[in-house]
Amino acid sequence: MATRLMFENSCEVGVFSKLTNAYCLVAIGGSESFYSTFEAELADVIPVVKTSIAGTRIIGRLCAGNKNGLILPHTTTDQELQHLRNTLPDQVVVQRVDERLSALGNCIACNDHVALTHTDLDRETEELIADVLGVEVFRQTIAGNILVGSYCAFSNRGGLVHPHTSIEDLDELSTLLQVPLVAGTVNRGSEVIAAGMTVNDWTAFCGADTTATELSVIESVFKLRDAQPTAIVDEMRKSLIDSYV
Amino acid sequence: MPRKPTRHRRLLPVQPLTFSPFARSVARVATAYLLNHHIRDATQQSAGVELNEKLKKVDRQSESSEDEAFDGVVQADFAFFDPKPDDFHGVKTLLQTYLDNKQWDLSGFIDLILGQTTVGTVVKLEGDEDNGVFSVITALNLGRYKDHKCITELKEFLLNVCQDKDKIGNLRALLGDKSLNVGLLVSQRVVNLPPELLPHLYDALFDEVSWATEDEPTEELRNSFHFKFYILVSKIYEHKNANQKRSSSADKDEAIIYIKPEDEIFRKLSIWSFLFPLQIQQVTTHELKNYQLTGIVMAVKAENISSFRQQLRTLINES
Repeated sequence: MATRLMFENSCEVGVFSKLTNAYCLVAIGGSESFYSTFEAELADVIPVVKTSIAGTRIIGRLCAGNKNGLILPHTTTDQELQHLRNTLPDQVVVQRVDERLSALGNCIACNDHVALTHTDLDRETEELIADVLGVEVFRQTIAGNILVGSYCAFSNRGGLVHPHTSIEDLDELSTLLQVPLVAGTVNRGSEVIAAGMTVNDWTAFCGADTTATELSVIESVFKLRDAQPTAIVDEMRKSLIDSYV
Repeated sequence: MPRKPTRHRRLLPVQPLTFSPFARSVARVATAYLLNHHIRDATQQSAGVELNEKLKKVDRQSESSEDEAFDGVVQADFAFFDPKPDDFHGVKTLLQTYLDNKQWDLSGFIDLILGQTTVGTVVKLEGDEDNGVFSVITALNLGRYKDHKCITELKEFLLNVCQDKDKIGNLRALLGDKSLNVGLLVSQRVVNLPPELLPHLYDALFDEVSWATEDEPTEELRNSFHFKFYILVSKIYEHKNANQKRSSSADKDEAIIYIKPEDEIFRKLSIWSFLFPLQIQQVTTHELKNYQLTGIVMAVKAENISSFRQQLRTLINES
């Protein structure tokens, strides 16, 4: 199920959190309700860890990770690195990387099998990503944007990309990632998908401005609802009538 | 929300034929267009001579500089538009800190502003694809919208934040029984918007309010724009030294720095005002290190608005 929430009056929840299949990182300093919304959904299944990265709250945009590992920028402090190594499960490899492009969350989009990266990423960083995250790495652009980590969000079951992505690009990306993709928006028409939402294989968190239509598209492409073998029209109709917050 | 057809302001020549509201809007846009047109052509016949000269100076500077060297001078044509649903994100960015760091239905509030197309103006660049919003100004009738969650939360915030026992009674009256005659004047803009636009912006708003009292389709709507009072919520810099605050009016300029110049005029004309502390983290520059960002709430009588418009014009023309 997809949940709508806000971080201190901002609907950009993908900036202040990082959700994977094995753990969830949440920024410190937000109201307790932000943290407790994540806890309510995830507490029994995966650890929800409060942290900062490089002393900032924009952790979702600075790090990249999946169930196998977490990659942090060189600006991460030693205490933060240690805190993450202590609190995350043992099978998650936490690694700090020396990369000029330090906003790794904006440069790398990944699930548990494939990663899309910024075209100018260092070769060493690419190898490190393949090692630590256990993924196949592809340098790509999305609708002409090199910040692939910002303009798409994908899990092992589906993906949402920038609304202006052409059909050919969609097909190409879908073949690379081996998941169904849909071009759409989040937070009432915002094109920066990954900033407005965060997703894993069974749940998603979106900004409070996300409309019912956007939410239904998210729920259907990421297969978050119990699968109903009905046409997309029926699914849309249900969520349009259902005014759920 | 039903999608309103987007009304793009197309630049038409001035043709003041009828007294319909549409023709008035067109005439206003055309005047603005003519102003820009004349400035662009650098002629001397436009209405705002001083404004014209200032921008001509800007023109000459940018022409004389190298194409490659950016000396900080940018040519910009600002245009006034009716609020449209597309402006949601731009207006939201401007009003993000309207109620300090309180978590409230800001999106609902923005929807109210954008839904009121007859009164309210959004300032954008002429022909800008990014649709960036530089300023927003509007007046919302607190009684008309009293059932909306955002307005209830706003009233609750103002009542909670008022620590002045004398003023809280007045505030409660304006937010309660008298709310049908009270307009919430929302005015927010980017910090570096040229001040020459301010008199036009406020003129546009108050003219629209008076036109709305005649042109709105229903009697109820027409009456809703017969404002007797305006409430403003804004921010100022107050000197941290409390003694200075209590000193004589001669020191008043140093005691308070007004971020928006019109706030000073409003405060002088207000029937009452109070300050309240802000909780958001403040970025202080070297010049402002002795100052604390403080919130201010003011109430102004609608009859004083013409005096305000005059004083604003004088203030901007002098500076």
